[in-house]
Amino acid sequence: MYQWLDERLDLSRLNTKFLRKAFPVHHSFFLGEITLFAFVVLVLTGIFLTLNYEPSTRPVKIEGYNDPVPAAYASILYIDSLPFGAVLRSLHHWSAHIMIAAAFLHMLRIHLTGAYKKPRELNWLIGIVLLVLAIVTAFTGYALPFDNYALTATGIGYHIGEAAPWLGKAMSAILFAGELEASNTKTIPRLFSIHVLWLPLLLLAMIGAHLLLMVKQKHTQPKYAEKVAPGRILGVPAMPQQAVMMGVLFLVYVAVTTFIAGAFLAHPVEAFGPPTPNTPSVKPDWYFMWIYGILQILPQWDLKILGANFGPQFVGGILVPTLIILGAMAIPFLEPQKEKQRYLELPSQHPRRTSFVLAMLMFYIMATLAGYKIDFLNANPNLSSGTLIAILWVLLIVAPILTYIISYILMKAAYRSREVEIEFTGRASAADD
Amino acid sequence: MADHDHDTHAHGHEAALEPEAPEAHATRRAVLQAAIGMGAGAAVLSTLYVGAGLIPKKEITPDREPIAQGDVLVYSQGPKRGQPINPAELKPGAEMIVAYPMNPESQVVKGAELKNTLLVMKLDPGTLDAETAKLAAEGVVVYSGVCKHLGCVVSNWVADKQLMLCPCHGALYDPKESGKALIVAPKPLGQFPIKLENNRIVIAGEPTRPIGVEAATDDGIRRV
Repeated sequence: MYQWLDERLDLSRLNTKFLRKAFPVHHSFFLGEITLFAFVVLVLTGIFLTLNYEPSTRPVKIEGYNDPVPAAYASILYIDSLPFGAVLRSLHHWSAHIMIAAAFLHMLRIHLTGAYKKPRELNWLIGIVLLVLAIVTAFTGYALPFDNYALTATGIGYHIGEAAPWLGKAMSAILFAGELEASNTKTIPRLFSIHVLWLPLLLLAMIGAHLLLMVKQKHTQPKYAEKVAPGRILGVPAMPQQAVMMGVLFLVYVAVTTFIAGAFLAHPVEAFGPPTPNTPSVKPDWYFMWIYGILQILPQWDLKILGANFGPQFVGGILVPTLIILGAMAIPFLEPQKEKQRYLELPSQHPRRTSFVLAMLMFYIMATLAGYKIDFLNANPNLSSGTLIAILWVLLIVAPILTYIISYILMKAAYRSREVEIEFTGRASAADD
Repeated sequence: MADHDHDTHAHGHEAALEPEAPEAHATRRAVLQAAIGMGAGAAVLSTLYVGAGLIPKKEITPDREPIAQGDVLVYSQGPKRGQPINPAELKPGAEMIVAYPMNPESQVVKGAELKNTLLVMKLDPGTLDAETAKLAAEGVVVYSGVCKHLGCVVSNWVADKQLMLCPCHGALYDPKESGKALIVAPKPLGQFPIKLENNRIVIAGEPTRPIGVEAATDDGIRRV
């Protein structure tokens, strides 16, 4: 059988060329794999959801509701009533969170270890596009349950999109098939098509490109590989060792996330109810909270240029995130190097870069904190909104700068003492490898 | 065509193979490049044209007609959904009702259009400022319900401060001062002039501001 296939498909060449390919091993390398597992689980649970979901807002009479409810809403209740239906829907929900979180951590790992440098600039760019695509895909799935909460949350995104100068209205109208409101029957089919077809296909293509480039350019290796076998790849073969590790990790991922999904049911549509004129108090998910926070503290000024408004919604919702994304894309091009990067750099040996990453994380945390402005105001009735906004602004600007300075000083001090240690003992301690 | 000459050369029908003039080569390349460029441009333009078809046409149905003079305010939800609001039943300063306009002739409730959402409340007429009082009737004031910030329905009533609150981002509006925006929102809510007829609240004219999200600010914002 093997011989028959080998004569036709040249399996032994595939084996020596790809399947025996060595993959360096390090626990931080699994973050990208977890992102991929989350995507696989999203596709699988997503297929289950599409089989039972009705992308329509036609009114249907169902038990327990005096008035007809939108069919999409009713179909979510139906999915929840199926055996393990609610668990699978939760698994879809949490996997979306995990995919974004793992992709973000994966990106931090790449940044902190300098793995984005030549020749991997292209894969860094693809990675950022993947992260943005994952977030956009998650957003287009928000409205699909068509409950009051989902519609309100999506509506905020709709109006932020509308605030983009010149093209905003047309772009929002294309994405949401007109204005986003409970009575617009075209919105749900449009979002459904984008969420389950176009964006996943795009993600799939980009993930394929990401992996192909990784295989082609070879994974960066931990530093010890340079000492053990300079100029060679130190790792385990893709087949069978790496594949077994991946398989086990995938099963662990599914087991853990299924347990989480069963224990914490996501987005209880029944509690939110079908859309009503009453606005529920919505809070965005953690990956939008920082944008929400910036929107909360921006002053209400605006600028009119050539008939377009550059208001706070545009600045907070579009301009700041776009600048951060462009800044991240520029990172590999800001410190070009001639030779190819083969080995990981230790974060401790690059205090400026590491401090910058920590400062950006602090910025993210402080912007997220600003998202709780209303809660702070409600908890402290004596606090004036103006004072609180001023405090949040100071935190947003000063905390990242302080983080940078402190971590830079600490790292310099710590690293200098380590250098002395190396000189003294003649070798670095094993913990650094 | 230039290609034709080339073909005949290749087939060797002509006795002598003349070397191609470099100018001819350059011209042919320029022509081909221009053709490719124009083709690509036409493809992009036609894609945009097709893409513009993704913006659906707005269908105006009777339940989506804009708010008009003479419309009667009805409950948008709850047990009395679709019934006219009786101003005598409003509790002064204690509640705010999310309402829809109803065409008095066809009896169609125009609730399908989000922009038609209205807010109704009864306040102590003495607390209203002059401009607000002019458009109110016996303390009943009516505002557009669409938040100026990001378009949510301003559906919450803060009874102790007598303010309208949008739950999305905490925008506050003062119904006693022409819907003035206190925090977050860039502009005041539009107030509708109303009159009371046969225990009904009736729209009596245009709102003081355009309805819906507005990005700009040109009036001072007071921070509370």
